[in-house]
Amino acid sequence: MDLDPDTQAMLKVAAGDKQAFAWLFDRHHASVARFAFRFVGDPARAEELTQDIFVKLYRHAGAYKPTAKFKTFLFRVATNHCLNEMRRGEYRVARLATGAPDAEDAGGLEMPGPEGDRPDQALSGRELEAAVGLALGDLSERERAAFTMCRFEGMAYRDIAEALEASEAAVKSLIHRATLAVARRLEALQAGTVPARSRA
Amino acid sequence: MSCAEEEDLTAYVDGELAPPHRARVEAHLGTCAACQRTERLLRVTVARMAEVSAFTPSPSPSTRREVLARLDALPPTWRERLAALLRPGVLVPSLGVAAAAVLAVLVVGRGGGEPALEEWDPGALEVATNLELVEDYEVLGLDSSDDLEVVENLHELGMP
Repeated sequence: MDLDPDTQAMLKVAAGDKQAFAWLFDRHHASVARFAFRFVGDPARAEELTQDIFVKLYRHAGAYKPTAKFKTFLFRVATNHCLNEMRRGEYRVARLATGAPDAEDAGGLEMPGPEGDRPDQALSGRELEAAVGLALGDLSERERAAFTMCRFEGMAYRDIAEALEASEAAVKSLIHRATLAVARRLEALQAGTVPARSRA
Repeated sequence: MSCAEEEDLTAYVDGELAPPHRARVEAHLGTCAACQRTERLLRVTVARMAEVSAFTPSPSPSTRREVLARLDALPPTWRERLAALLRPGVLVPSLGVAAAAVLAVLVVGRGGGEPALEEWDPGALEVATNLELVEDYEVLGLDSSDDLEVVENLHELGMP
């Protein structure tokens, strides 16, 4: 069986290979940090969560089966960790999330702002980030997780279902509710009925 | 009031519906203006999310170092402990010690049933030699050394 490079690296990690771990860390750090950031809405907390998630990934590497996609396994670890931390009350979603944070606020992360500030669009990139951040803050944790994996990581519903340990029908419903909520907020913002940085 | 098909619209936009299901939604969209509006809104929103995802954090070398340091500080798992024990440098000498221990137990075990005659306690040896006499003493209820001497020398007293 031909194994993809992620899977091969993960099997080495399971055998205690820290070089393989560093390789996977470099390759997937951005995805996990982005996911954690969308989850908690704060770059410093997102970085803490990202490090915790990778440490957990290393500790649970023995549980990885090469039949599963590595990214699905990684996001299962990430989702469980974020949900647990939220339940423990360690983190609260930053309700005034403003999307891409300023570089000086980004802690260990280098987070460039959106490159899509297009004057021809009714919403600037920053306004869009802000609106999405606010809309995500209003979602349930599972809706937020499903939406983030779908919209920002391009994961298929089947893989999201595996990561969330849910049925595909449940994921379809989570993603629909979340996407519709974000859509309604953007619509209201464009119509000028909701200020970009207002609380929900 | 929303249609039952509304729930499927995002999956439809995402191309996540199986062909028969997709065909049903398309048929419904042809007749429902409300769902058409919602579908358009969802499609525009999904397209705009591509701009949001331009946000790309990347790890700094210090972040990587911190995580690797945390791995080094982790207590070893049972798997790692087992692997450490099975290293040739540990395993070979350990097997040597274990083999010596097993051999010692076997040797002691084989020889330990009956000690050699010279290892016996002299007192116990004497009792064993004169077991018949000792039993006689016990039957007679004798325990002082004077009584024992009398019994031993009965033949000198001219007893029949």
